[in-house]
Amino acid sequence: MNTRAASGLERGDRRFGLMLTAPGLAVLFLVIIFPLLFALITSFFDYTLINPNHDTFVGLDNYQEVLDEEYILTSLWVTLKFVLASVMIEFAIGFSVALALNSVTRFKNFYYLILLAPLLINPVVVGLLWRMILHTELGIANYAISLMNIDPVNWLGNANAAFWTVVMVDIWHQFSFMAILLLAGLASLPREPYEAARVDGASSFSCFIHITLPLMRPVIIVALLLRFVFAIKTFDIVFIMTKGGPGTATDIISYFIYRAAFFGLDIGRASAMSIALLLIVLALTIYLYRYMTSLR
Amino acid sequence: MKRLLAVIISIIFLSSPVKAETIRLLMETVPDTKYIQELLPEFEKQTGIKVEMEVISYNDMHAKLIPQLLSAKGSYDGIVVDFYWVGEFIKAGWLMPLDDLVQRDKFNTSVYVPKLTDLVGKVDGVQYMLPFYNYSMAVIYRKDLLEDPKEQAAFKAKYGIDLKVPTDWDEYWKQVEFFTRDTDNDGKKDLYGTVIQGQRGDCVSMQWANFLYGMGGRFQDKDWNPTINSDAGIKAMEAYREAVVKFSPPGSESFCFDEAANVMAQGKAYSLQTFNIMFAGFDDPESSKVVGKVGITSNPGGGLNGGWGWAIPNSSQNKEAVWKFYQWVESYEIAKKRALLGGAPTQTRIFTDPDVIAKRPYYPILGEILAGSQDFPVFTYTTELVEKMGLEFNLAATGEKEPKAALDAANAAYRKLLIKDGKISE
Repeated sequence: MNTRAASGLERGDRRFGLMLTAPGLAVLFLVIIFPLLFALITSFFDYTLINPNHDTFVGLDNYQEVLDEEYILTSLWVTLKFVLASVMIEFAIGFSVALALNSVTRFKNFYYLILLAPLLINPVVVGLLWRMILHTELGIANYAISLMNIDPVNWLGNANAAFWTVVMVDIWHQFSFMAILLLAGLASLPREPYEAARVDGASSFSCFIHITLPLMRPVIIVALLLRFVFAIKTFDIVFIMTKGGPGTATDIISYFIYRAAFFGLDIGRASAMSIALLLIVLALTIYLYRYMTSLR
Repeated sequence: MKRLLAVIISIIFLSSPVKAETIRLLMETVPDTKYIQELLPEFEKQTGIKVEMEVISYNDMHAKLIPQLLSAKGSYDGIVVDFYWVGEFIKAGWLMPLDDLVQRDKFNTSVYVPKLTDLVGKVDGVQYMLPFYNYSMAVIYRKDLLEDPKEQAAFKAKYGIDLKVPTDWDEYWKQVEFFTRDTDNDGKKDLYGTVIQGQRGDCVSMQWANFLYGMGGRFQDKDWNPTINSDAGIKAMEAYREAVVKFSPPGSESFCFDEAANVMAQGKAYSLQTFNIMFAGFDDPESSKVVGKVGITSNPGGGLNGGWGWAIPNSSQNKEAVWKFYQWVESYEIAKKRALLGGAPTQTRIFTDPDVIAKRPYYPILGEILAGSQDFPVFTYTTELVEKMGLEFNLAATGEKEPKAALDAANAAYRKLLIKDGKISE
């Protein structure tokens, strides 16, 4: 075998590959790395919308200001609760639905359509829709439960209820993403292990525990991580439905940052918050990924 | 491939300048925008200038405007400015002074109601905007209930005063209490004295201002010292909380003006403090069950003064054409046509025009509401103040915070922003 020729060929391949990816990488740089760097730099400057320039370097002042914000810890806590609640429940529902659909053979497309419908709706529309449904006095939700002789619920006016209402709406809107992803994973599983297990007399339950779950692990990790990252960025539903209220019950961090930028006009402070959040999310993601891949 | 390229290039060339003059405006989805759209063909026929309006909801406007205002060449030739934003936009230097154009074309700015010129017209003597429409807040009430002899007798027996259109806060509040009731005796309230719009942020801040004015309170004294937590403020907040608990539908801590108005339109409330522009909707059979049964009057002590102004951003690429459009849209003829369609006037001569009054007999009352309205703080950080106050007011409305504690916090937040803006010193 001629190694020289092989390496020449390899080099050619590599150059060709680089040529193919260069435009993509350039775009990636422009739309991801550049804004990220811009935010990082801006977070060290007194950059406001009134005076948008990088004239005044303030070091870590913006970060100090963020720590001094009166309700920032509440907001982080609300965000954490929201992410955990919505992602976990979405996973439970999504996995059950995926398992159910995986064994269905008739009307599969019909079920897919129903399942995907909420996901196709713009989140702003979802928020407005549910605000109407949940109107305490005129909404259909309270009317429906009054027919069952249940007292009307103050969906968005009571702090505790409002939090779970927002979680519920988010689940309604997003769980099908989880279901579809897991369903794709289930469909790609090999048939042989199941047949072998059946021959050995394993029950459906033990098939699920000992075959489905281990084989599905990579898909589950990806689905959970993706939803986890998306859930932290939730904005529209809160913005439309509650504006972070009542009180601070649904004041998730993305809306907090939005307020600093577009109501407080302070892009420097908002950038500092975004960068800090990015670091937290990155650390959490790495930790979660390691933790989940280490599970045996 | 070549053919495709040719097509693309020709599309690019065809879509750029050569065609007739076009101006682009960013507008809000409100009735007054709709009325102008109905009249636009007249303008286009007269001048040959095409007007493109991008109409979006209020929630998205501020965030959408800023990048356009910041850039040297914005994509909007003309914009409308909410009074909230005036301090900020002027401070940032985004708006073009109109004085030269006004003088050159002898545009008469004295036709505007002075309250609105102060709010969305002139800043420190410079004309930056032309008042577009006003949304000062008022009390909308059920005329049929107020004029019912049985109700009048029962009210007199209970309170010892006549049941009539309220002129002071105590009188109004007695009516709110009086009409909150369970009409079909099923153990649940089904008629509410008022409807609170208590959602955190803008909604609660705007409505609570009417309570504050009703108690004779103000947001600041004449030297800009904040006075939100004055005795009047605390009384106003106690009344607000009382309304949430007793006189308004459950859940109103999370309502904004649209949800509150729906309760009124369904005939489930006696009164509502809301924007005067909402009034026409209650007489529309498509959206209301109380057609012909509602009246409008001033908030006792004055309601919140609100309005929008037409402005030309410095980043506008077509200033002359936009100015032509503003002159047209604010001319007597067109302002009158807008009012006849239901628009909220800003010019004194429209409020008193016989044709307008013949079609809309309540317009003189709207004029009085505007004249008696009170100003909300306008300075560089109004939008941030609204958010900070709105959180504290909402905490008090839901009972999570005591009125005094919430107002102290709101006052402190206001003071901090005023110091940041250089209005007061530490």
